[in-house]
Amino acid sequence: MNKFVAFLEKYLSGPMAKLSEQQHIRAIRDGVVSALPFIIFGSIFLIIANPPIPENWAFYVWAKENIATILIPYRLTMYIMTLYITFGIGYSLSQSYKIDALSGGLVSIAAFLFTIGVQSTEEFGFVLPMANLGGHGLFVAMLVAVFSVEVLRLCKQKNITIKMPEAVPSSVARSFEALIPIVIILGVMTVITVVFNLDLHSMVDKVVAPIIKGGDTIFGVTIPVFLITFFWAFGIHGMSVVGAVIRPVWEVYLAKNGEAAASGMPLPYVAPETFFQWFVWIGGAGATLGLVIAMFISARSKYSKSMAKATFIPSIFNINEPVIFGMPIVLNPILIIPFIIVPLVTTVITYICVTVGLVSATYVMAPWTLPAPIGAYLATGGDWRAIILVLVNIAISTIIYLPFFKIYDRQLVAQEQLEEESLKEVVEETTETAPIKPSTDGNAPS
Amino acid sequence: MKVLFVCSGGMSSAIIVNTLKKEAQKNGMEMEVLAVGTSEFPAEVQNGWDIAMVAPQVRHRFNLFKESADEANVPIAQIPPTAYSPLGGPALLKVIQETIV
Repeated sequence: MNKFVAFLEKYLSGPMAKLSEQQHIRAIRDGVVSALPFIIFGSIFLIIANPPIPENWAFYVWAKENIATILIPYRLTMYIMTLYITFGIGYSLSQSYKIDALSGGLVSIAAFLFTIGVQSTEEFGFVLPMANLGGHGLFVAMLVAVFSVEVLRLCKQKNITIKMPEAVPSSVARSFEALIPIVIILGVMTVITVVFNLDLHSMVDKVVAPIIKGGDTIFGVTIPVFLITFFWAFGIHGMSVVGAVIRPVWEVYLAKNGEAAASGMPLPYVAPETFFQWFVWIGGAGATLGLVIAMFISARSKYSKSMAKATFIPSIFNINEPVIFGMPIVLNPILIIPFIIVPLVTTVITYICVTVGLVSATYVMAPWTLPAPIGAYLATGGDWRAIILVLVNIAISTIIYLPFFKIYDRQLVAQEQLEEESLKEVVEETTETAPIKPSTDGNAPS
Repeated sequence: MKVLFVCSGGMSSAIIVNTLKKEAQKNGMEMEVLAVGTSEFPAEVQNGWDIAMVAPQVRHRFNLFKESADEANVPIAQIPPTAYSPLGGPALLKVIQETIV
């Protein structure tokens, strides 16, 4: 077992975790994450515009009459999330290269706006079409932000910059420093989007279409779920590794579902990030709320009893590192099995429920520390059936965790008895010399 | 003593912060402990900490954290997985003492 674990860690989970720390991937992840507060804010207005109340209530009627106005805050945040993400990617990537992050963020936005193009209308003069500023434009944004910052970096490395005489104040000199790379970046963008009039968005669309389609199938949802718990089994933050790669796709689903909800259309995608957050990761990665409940039901060992008490409240708010490292689940051959099985089972159940229409798909992003039933209710725009599904998933996870926990708990009990006996012996032998301090070591007796 | 924890979002280590504080109190030590997320760490570590501790779930980023910590001349250590638990106070304190000495 140990050799096998070492093998996996060395050749599989280790290198993959390193890959997720690759500078570009990390910058994209941090860029997407930096936009989450704006997405959450915009989400609120999606709920107000489609309130989960009977259609004949006055508030519902008012909301429907004023939907365009109510959705303005949504249109300026979640709807154009890619604009914010672009700045975030450019900023983070520059930061990791230790070049001026503000220039990196700004020039990324400028390069991205070149891909949007300008339209003119009689009523408003010149306008920016907003559609590609949303989730739709995310992959183009990733490309141009990375391109922009790489040019900045190259110019800095090769010292392609305007040198000012020493008498010039440094702040003035710095503004000229960024000039040449910015001229190159925006010059290239001008050639592509103005001179050749190429639509980068429709080109990239064709390339990513299979990924977008595949990620929403039953395989597309179960594979990341498996990988996330697989990484956690080694004690590596699975979401931060797997999410680094797949999160942009999930964000596209969320954006598209949000757009559909805003215009009263059926929701096109099953599995935005919120699908996993509220229906699968109940209590944290591995759906460990079920384990904690199983601990409450059947814990015999002192260790499990005190762990159950210490981890219950954090688990309700989906924080489960104390469970994962405390029990531990990490490298624990007994608990890893349900830890990997449970999320796969609840993923499949939820996927089926959403596709056959038993539960609404998700399109609202709520803070991930909310208790799952509340989060699921909000994420589905107020579908009460989502609460039932969450409760069913909790029950299922408890049932699957229970037998495995019992086996592990029996081992703990045996170890505790062994320790007590040996302690007694020691006490009997040494009562005359020194009082024995009971072991206060908090480690899992393993 | 000032101890800085870093984990993915600064959430889970907040629980461990309390565990360590209690353990320190038990031992009559004065300890200031703060938990931050990975993105806040490079800036926060500059603010005069005695030691930085890396949560086990982000240990694959240890080298990145170490770079920032070295710049700020702050000793840095990994939290052993078994100590990263609400009952891991004594083990945590031990790692800190070993690292600083």
